[in-house]
Formats: sequence, C-alpha cells, structure tokens
Amino acid sequence: MTVVFLDSSKIDRLRNAMNHDAEFKLAARYMSEDILLGADESRCIVKVRDGLVTEIKPDPPSEDHWSFSIKATAESWDKLLQSSPPPFYTGLNAGMLRGNLQIMGNMEVAFAYLWAMNRMLDIMRQLQN
Amino acid sequence: MTIRFMDPNGVDNVRERINSDPEFHIAARYMSRDILIEAEAKQCIFKVRDGVITEIVVNPSPMEPWDFFIKAPEKSWALFLQPLPPPFFHSLFGAAVREDFQFGGDVEAMFAHYWAIQRMLAIMRLLQNE
Amino acid sequence: MLKLEAITGKYGFVTVHGVDYRVYFEESGEGIPLLCQHTAGGDGRQWRHLMNDEEVTSKYRVVAVDLPYHGKSLPPESVEWWKEEYKLTKSFLIDFLVEFGRALGLDRPVFIGCSMGGHLALDLALECPDKFRAVIGFESAEFTPGLDLIWFNHPRISGEFKFANLFESTAPSSPEKYRREVGWVYSQSAPPVFRGDLYYYSVEHNVTGQLHRIDTSRIAVYLLCGEYDFASTPEMCRQAASQIKGAKYIEMKGLGHFPVVENYELCKAYLTPILEEITKIR
Repeated sequence: MTVVFLDSSKIDRLRNAMNHDAEFKLAARYMSEDILLGADESRCIVKVRDGLVTEIKPDPPSEDHWSFSIKATAESWDKLLQSSPPPFYTGLNAGMLRGNLQIMGNMEVAFAYLWAMNRMLDIMRQLQN
Repeated sequence: MTIRFMDPNGVDNVRERINSDPEFHIAARYMSRDILIEAEAKQCIFKVRDGVITEIVVNPSPMEPWDFFIKAPEKSWALFLQPLPPPFFHSLFGAAVREDFQFGGDVEAMFAHYWAIQRMLAIMRLLQNE
Repeated sequence: MLKLEAITGKYGFVTVHGVDYRVYFEESGEGIPLLCQHTAGGDGRQWRHLMNDEEVTSKYRVVAVDLPYHGKSLPPESVEWWKEEYKLTKSFLIDFLVEFGRALGLDRPVFIGCSMGGHLALDLALECPDKFRAVIGFESAEFTPGLDLIWFNHPRISGEFKFANLFESTAPSSPEKYRREVGWVYSQSAPPVFRGDLYYYSVEHNVTGQLHRIDTSRIAVYLLCGEYDFASTPEMCRQAASQIKGAKYIEMKGLGHFPVVENYELCKAYLTPILEEITKIR
C-alpha cells in the first residue's frame, strides 16, 4: 500500500483537504516551514506558507531545504495511518517514544507545531482509508 | 547621564551580574540571541548563548549581527533606569506603547524570550543606581 | 485542623445564546450582591483578596464567576472549540453576566470589573442600566485599540510571555509577590483565550461619543485607574468619566493595571469609600 503522501494520485487531494480543514487552519496559524516526510527511502517535502500547504513535492533533491523531518519505515506508516491505529501509533509523540518514528531537525519548530502535524496525520488517515 | 551598561569599562561587571542572577538563569534558558541596545548614537550588542551572556560588544561595527533591537533616546533611558521609574517607563512594553521606546527585528524571538529581557533590563536598572 | 478561607466554590449551569455552559464561581460574604468580572485571559482568582476582606464581605455578597473557557469553567461540551477561533464579544459578555446573575438570584447587583471588566462597566451602564444598581470600572476607557497582539497566541511563544508581559503592567512599587501573582494567573490561561478576549477589549469595545447617554440616576458609575496603567491610561479613564454626568473618577497613585491583585491594601483605600457610598443606593 502506497503511503498517501507519496501517492501522486492523492497528493493534490491531501493538500486541498489540509487547506480546507478548520482545525488545521487554527493549528498551523503563522506557520511557514518545510517538512520532510520519509517512508523507508522515499521522501516528499510538504511546504507550508502562512498556515497553508502550497506544495507537496515528491522526490525532492537532497539540497532542498527542510526545517524538520518526520520519518518512519513503511511498515510503521501503515500503522500510523490506520483509521484506528494501534497503541503507540496514535500520534507523533507516541510514535517518537514507542513507535519507531523519528522527528529530526529543528525540534523547537516541530514541537511548536505539534498540533498541526498531528492534525495532518488525522487528515492523511482519512485519505489513506 | 552615563548609561552604565554601555560603559566599556563596566561591561564585565554587567555581564557577571546578569549571569549570576537566579531569575535570569531560569528566564533565559535555551536562549541564544544577539540583542542590539541603542541610545541614540551609542550602541551595544548583548550576545546570549544557551542562556548565558558571553559578551557585551560596545560600539559594534555595522556588520555585527543582531536578532532584535531595543532603542530609545538617552533621556528616555534615564527615566527607564530610575530606581522607581515614572509611568510608563517601568515597563519596556509600556514605554514602547506609550512613550518613545522602540523595538524591532525578530520580534517573535524577542517575545519568546521576553521574561529574560525584562529581567536583564531590571538588573541594568539596579546597576545604574548602585 | 485545616485553616479555611471564607470563600466557597461551586459549579452551575447557564444557557446563553442556545449553548449550555457549566461554569465555576466563588462567593463569600452576605448582603448586597457584588458581581465581579475578571480581566481578559484571567479568572476569578483575581478577586481572592477582595473576597477575603471582611470589611467588604460583612456588607456584600461577593460573587466571582469564571467566564466559559477561563479558569475552572471549561469550554462548553457542545462546541468543537478546537475548530473555531475563540473570540469574546460584547453581546456574549453582557448576556452571560445578566443571565448568570438572574439565575443566581442576584437582585440588581453591583458590578465590579477590571480591564475588560472596566470596559464592560461602561457597556453595562449604557445597555442595561436597570439590571445593576452601580458599576465600578477599574482601568476603563472608551477605546483601547492595537493591543490584541498575535504574539499572545502564537505557537512558538509560550505562556511565559503572558507571565512576563502582564507582570510588567503592574506598578513597580506594588509588592513583588502579588505582581508575580498577576503574571502567574495569565500564564495558566489556555492558548487562544487571552487574545480572543482582547477582541472585545481592543477591537470591538468602542464607546467613543456615547458615554453622555449614561444616566447616573438609574445606575451609579465609579471609574478608577492606576497611575502606571499604560494599556488604559489615567488620562483615557478620566476622559471617559468626564463625559458621564454624575460619574466619579479616581486616579490611583502607585497602582498599575491590576489594582485588586497587585496591591489590594492600597486599592482598598480607594475602593472602600465607594462601596460604602453604594450601600446607600437602592
């Protein structure tokens, strides 16, 4: 199963869903960051500007900028994106502590926008399933 | 009036006093910023690294980086630094909203570390009146 | 044996604009009802010094309610508040307080409020003078624009900024521990609440040119302002009072934006004569 943020047939829908979500709008206020998402060796960058997702860029070159990364194995992403995820895969904090997920880079920013990132995860779950 | 925290002969004392303050120690945690302080033609940059003031650069060159600035005319600094300042010079925020203090640059960083800046200025006020 | 204060707290239910609210309120004393309104981003704890003053509670039933979303009044269960921008409006404030007072059986209470409560004193006098026998406004003004900063609700800035910022709005001569207490309460408010309240305080509330309509024969008006208040200055408060025939204005020397918290002993010297005068109003 292809993870939704790496599925070229779904990334436009994902971007639109995030930009039309009332909770994401609140959580991502003032956010202008680039977030690298990784599943095994595949990657994409989610670009957020002033709280709106302007682009989800698949296979970015290594020199592309990102503020922080959220990476896990494809197997972990399967669990994270289940409609009813198992224990330790319910959110990014849980995933970091117990679920083989890594957040790296500018941790201050990542944690400042944890709410937005967890909401992004919720929206991905809806599209994944 | 001599602004003591800008006196090149006194900067070590200013730095040590602020760094040894228990409230500043808590308030400035994780702070790594450069703060430009200006009183008309006089300038200095407070370099903070991991919550400790590592250097106070008096009369910095224009190339010296800073994250945000706090500036005011000398006469306003004199009021701000009084032991019991008059309204609204008791507060950086108040002095900026109602008087002629100004701040700018990376204000997000400034407000994130506002407690530390407030405490630093309070110590500068104490030093001014010793 | 545990030493107790005279303040008691309870939860009650109020319906406003079709929404049910479970709210927390505290009270102490007996006598004329005195309904207290906390500041933007604050809660009823700000009235603890007043509520422990036997000189007041021997004549007044002092009631301090936490507005919904504040203090121990949680957000209403029927609202998906995590999807909506929180904004306090004049309409909600007035209707909530009037309904709360009515439900609690407060007969034409005296209203006392600070900061946004001070502004509300003016709005109540304008809009429902028959529901209150008097209003006491601390730090009131006609209009205080430009203070609803985004930094009060920014993901990258913690409640510590509110702690430091509001500490600074007190007078430098007020007791340190109570100045810090002001900041402490602010640092505990939920992220969107302070800025959302400032919508009423700094954007919506604007009674410029209207205050002459207040009839102090129907509702007595007392306005007080701390010398060090830079958010709503003594000049602004005096200006408001000067337009209300029969209103009383007092500048409180040595006090800042939070007189009842930062230095109640000094504030009391200004407040007590007013409360005494009000006991003669029917």
